[in-house]
Amino acid sequence: MIPMNSEPDVPLRDPPSQSGEEEGPSAAEQAKAIEQPPPQPVEITADTNLSELSAAQMYELNQAHETADVHRPLIAEIAPIAELRAEYENGSTLFVQQIDNLESQGYSSIRRTRAVAFAYVEQVLKSSDPPLAVATTLSTLEGTPALLETVGYQNLVFDDFYSVLVQLVRNVTIPDELGNKLTNQTLLEAFQSPAESNSIVVYMRMLTSAQMQLNAENFAPFLFHPELGEPMEVKEFCENFVDAIGKEADHVQMTALSQILRIDISVAYLDGRSEQLDFVKFSPEETTSSSPIVLLYRPGHYDILEGSYS
Amino acid sequence: MASISSRRLAKELMEIKNDGCPVGINLVKADDFSTWWFTIQVMGESLYKNEQFTLQFRFDPQYPISSPAVQFVVTDGKEAPVHPHVYSNGHICASILGNEWSPVLSVIAVCVTLQSMLASCKEKQRPIDNDRYIKHAPENPKKTRFHYDDDT
Repeated sequence: MIPMNSEPDVPLRDPPSQSGEEEGPSAAEQAKAIEQPPPQPVEITADTNLSELSAAQMYELNQAHETADVHRPLIAEIAPIAELRAEYENGSTLFVQQIDNLESQGYSSIRRTRAVAFAYVEQVLKSSDPPLAVATTLSTLEGTPALLETVGYQNLVFDDFYSVLVQLVRNVTIPDELGNKLTNQTLLEAFQSPAESNSIVVYMRMLTSAQMQLNAENFAPFLFHPELGEPMEVKEFCENFVDAIGKEADHVQMTALSQILRIDISVAYLDGRSEQLDFVKFSPEETTSSSPIVLLYRPGHYDILEGSYS
Repeated sequence: MASISSRRLAKELMEIKNDGCPVGINLVKADDFSTWWFTIQVMGESLYKNEQFTLQFRFDPQYPISSPAVQFVVTDGKEAPVHPHVYSNGHICASILGNEWSPVLSVIAVCVTLQSMLASCKEKQRPIDNDRYIKHAPENPKKTRFHYDDDT
């Protein structure tokens, strides 16, 4: 019961070392962030032996990185992966080696973002057969409100978020009221708008949560409190770490999301623990994707990997 | 196009008007999409038997992505319940209003949670740091970063 600070207008974020709690930047901070200059890279000193850090410490390290990045746009233009490499050049050589490893596999670019959501819609937009991709995606999405109601969400808490996502996907083939179809540029703009971007991210959180609750027996063995390490009930885990804004998705959540959206996701784990870099594939039994969404994971954060093989 | 916040609040309000509030909770005013008031009573046997409190919700344009600012009203003779998580200025230390806020929650869901927080209270007392907190507390409780140390 200790208020950590009570002065107005102080950013509501403490350095991770002083606080075990984590929360994302508020929508207002994010909105402000769009107009701000790009961030400075954070130094990870060569003295830091990253392989000795616990998962939680790695998470905090990356969150510190994220905290310094509050001026980052919600989603950025595609950038050469060399930019990411440059951020780590003064630090751990293992991180740099892992990044080189990625580049050698054809992943030449990175799109800094907060969510799988962008890649999901982008994949529909970039499809070789957009009308088919839109139809398939909508058919999956249209089944989801009923699933959310099954686990007890009220229609009114998800309806608006659902509409935003469906509209965006539909806009790939059907012009909006101004007569425009979705383009790379307007997709980027949609995700840079906090209202639209947050709505879609929230809907995906709800989908993740619903999938876990509907298949509780499959997920329960893997649910532990991130700080206490104790097993948790599915419902409790979802309320605290999936539905809540600003909690980052881990392996379990990614599994659930790939299942309910019926998409393949492939994640490269950049953890600075070895020179090797492993891709973890999330391939649900029922899948509608022709190629996986490829993400780069640094503890606490996902970006999209782009390249000739993605 | 109306903002997400006003569309969502319009739906919540319609549901309250159509279905009513849960027992012990009553809508006092909701004349706009920025401030709503409710009265809240704890039903059955509890330390707050026969007491009635007024809850104020303030919404910003990012609601429900961003949490509402929720506090007990302490003007016009109204008082905040004496509870280990409620400061005498009406501010409430509850994780669902802070880092565990989720857009899955609605205004009524918050009222019900706070009602049960009161119902399960075992000892009427103010937070230990009440005097220190209220001296420097910001006007808006969302500007306070509370440390949530238990689940009660």
